[in-house]
Amino acid sequence: MTANEINMILTGVWQTVYMTLVSTLFGYVLGLPWGIALTVTAKEGLHPNKVVYRILDIAANIMRSVPFLIMLILVMPLTMLIVGKTYGSTATVVPLVISAAPLIARMVESSLNEVDHGVIEAAQSVGATNFQIVTRVLIGEARVSLVSGATITIGTVLGYSAMAGTIGGGGLGDIAIRYGYYRYQADILWTTVILLVLLVQLFQAIGTLISVRMDKRHI
Amino acid sequence: MPIIEVRNLSKTFVTKDATVQALKEINFEVEEGDIYGIIGMSGAGKSTLVRCLNYLEVPTQGTVIVEGHDLSKLSGAELRSLRSSIGMIFQGFNLLMQSKVIDNVMFPLLIHKVTKAEAKKKAEQLLDTVGLSDKAQAYPAQLSGGQRQRVAIARALAMDPKILLCDEATSALDPQTTQSILQLLKKINRETGITIVIITHQMSVVREICHNVAIVQSGEIVERGLVEDIFTHPQSRAAKQLVIEGKDPDEFAKEQEAKSKAVPILHESRKIRIVFGTQSSFEPVIANMILTVGVPVNILRASTMDVGGTARGDMILGLPADPASQEKIISYLKERGLAVEEVQ
Repeated sequence: MTANEINMILTGVWQTVYMTLVSTLFGYVLGLPWGIALTVTAKEGLHPNKVVYRILDIAANIMRSVPFLIMLILVMPLTMLIVGKTYGSTATVVPLVISAAPLIARMVESSLNEVDHGVIEAAQSVGATNFQIVTRVLIGEARVSLVSGATITIGTVLGYSAMAGTIGGGGLGDIAIRYGYYRYQADILWTTVILLVLLVQLFQAIGTLISVRMDKRHI
Repeated sequence: MPIIEVRNLSKTFVTKDATVQALKEINFEVEEGDIYGIIGMSGAGKSTLVRCLNYLEVPTQGTVIVEGHDLSKLSGAELRSLRSSIGMIFQGFNLLMQSKVIDNVMFPLLIHKVTKAEAKKKAEQLLDTVGLSDKAQAYPAQLSGGQRQRVAIARALAMDPKILLCDEATSALDPQTTQSILQLLKKINRETGITIVIITHQMSVVREICHNVAIVQSGEIVERGLVEDIFTHPQSRAAKQLVIEGKDPDEFAKEQEAKSKAVPILHESRKIRIVFGTQSSFEPVIANMILTVGVPVNILRASTMDVGGTARGDMILGLPADPASQEKIISYLKERGLAVEEVQ
């Protein structure tokens, strides 16, 4: 590998990390309230609302059933509108956020549903509002599960970001396709694959460490 | 005026394929400063009943009046503010497992906008009251069941409530821990005058600390009154089971089932239960009775129990077969001012 190629790979690593983290972050900006709303409006939730629940539920299902590669193309007009171009790692953030948000909403929903109903009842019995129950009880009690969910999300988004390489999305996936696939440069292909594996391992290890550290339920 | 007044309360749960009437036409009131027991077997509807007292469950019919407020007429905000004067503790403690003990106790204070410094001071006082000052920085997982319930009590008392609801608060605890929790509740009742409503299936709990009791069976109150009176003269079948057998009604049901399956070997003679107050323990009643009537009796069971702080003797006698001597014995005992009850 030439110095140029090594530089390119290093840039690719940075772009992949950037896309993954920024997309996951914005994914949570949309997905966290979405998941909370699903939990709260569900039949057994704090404030059941059939209509709202159905809308959020169906929206999540529809968005989750569009394969990421198709989503990339479908949202191109939106990407153009927001970023001003449809290639490169910043442009890839848009479809990544849109694909990650419903996944995050489901993760958040299932984490919050794990919280023992008795604890919610105890909070209600001292006069807590639903908002206080969400912010001070549900999120705090479900934090371990929420962090695990975020770790899984990061892994998935990282995988998606590599897929965006097929349409010039930047990052390690882009390099793997251009050099490994189109130019048969096996060394670069393998280097990118190994780097992707290492990145996933790293994020997973950090996520696991954080969730173990913050779990006070078993001592 | 009673602090809690329940009028014609009914609760029906509608599920997809069935309608379950959990509570039927419940009426009772609790006076301020009282320790009121609601006893019944599991599934009798008592947990639903206690949740109607702070509107965690909204009744289908009837009114609940707490501190002069009809709960059905309160807005959400008014209801939440009234709830801060009704503490509640649970069988499963229901603590925030990811928060420290002190934060659990501070929780009600902080959500009612008490400043952090004040909340902390109050929480420390409460932990001192329940005897857990040294555990403030611990997490609930590090505590025993009894200690967790003490934390829950401290949390329930954080807003200086006038009422404390206890939903099977000692059912998950061993007898010794149950004792210490009951003593703590008694102490708090004595020192602060807080009204306590205790839901339980254990007669021993009611006997130990309640002044008044309501017996709930299949969603209805079948008997209510002073614990002492019900203990001495149980009227309903459910009360008799609870008092005479002195154990959990669900266990009793199991035993009855086992009994009905067994082949009766011999027909048992008539049995009576007598209850001694403090005054009759000075006189050797049974010995005198045998000397007077001149026939022997069989003592099947005898025990003493603490009913609301006074000692009560409780004895079951097997009577001789001859009806004349049976009558003599019963009238002799009644003359001595003892409560006599036929038992099967």
